[in-house]
Amino acid sequence: MTAAAPLLLITKDPSHALAHLALRYARALLEQIAINDNKQNQISKDSDTDISTAPLNLFFYADAAHVANRLRWQSADQVNLTKQWQVLAEQYNLTLSVCVSTALSRGISDSDNSARHQLDGDNVAGGFDLVGLSELALMMQNNDRLIQF
Amino acid sequence: MKLLIQLRTPTEMASYEGCALALTLATFGHEVQLYLDAPVFGILMQPKSRLHGMIQSLELYDMPPAWLPDDVFSGWLTGMVPTDLATQLMLIPEVVNPQDFEQTLTF
Repeated sequence: MTAAAPLLLITKDPSHALAHLALRYARALLEQIAINDNKQNQISKDSDTDISTAPLNLFFYADAAHVANRLRWQSADQVNLTKQWQVLAEQYNLTLSVCVSTALSRGISDSDNSARHQLDGDNVAGGFDLVGLSELALMMQNNDRLIQF
Repeated sequence: MKLLIQLRTPTEMASYEGCALALTLATFGHEVQLYLDAPVFGILMQPKSRLHGMIQSLELYDMPPAWLPDDVFSGWLTGMVPTDLATQLMLIPEVVNPQDFEQTLTF
């Protein structure tokens, strides 16, 4: 039996300390899961580890949607959370789900939603998916480890 | 999942987004209790605010009345709002036991 992947509900603006803490938490958790998986595989060489399943669920909601804006400029001495999440998602096969309504209300859109709402252009950063709030409800169906940042 | 969702940010958008999350999760079978803190009372009292309309419709989502801290200000508020909204509000002691819920979310 496998435990449900933890779900991080990120609601703070990228400028907020908790938004940075969410990234650090996710990175530390994923590194720990990877270490545990390696140990498990050494003990049981014939175990079938399903690497296609994301070890962590993420949902960006409310002000956290700003992180999905590829046009969000910041000075070079600041941590670029958008880039950091993209790297982590690529490394661990994570889905970066962003609530579509909170994103649109903050001027963040993808090509589909821009066409639907007659908006001029799109600006969602690569790797981020605009999804309905129902996605979060479904993620929570089998999840007992929800953490808000 | 049994959740407490607290609305504390005095902006129309933040209160709307917190309440929208509560209603959506309730639709999907989660057990959700809303708690409205004093900073959002001004928004709740505006008949055209989305929070006002959504709190009026809590019963349609099979959600219990929203909690308000049991103090003089809340008592005054419930006397000022329309009856259909007041019936969706309940005064409770200010200290909520977080152990009664699996998770607490704050907006």
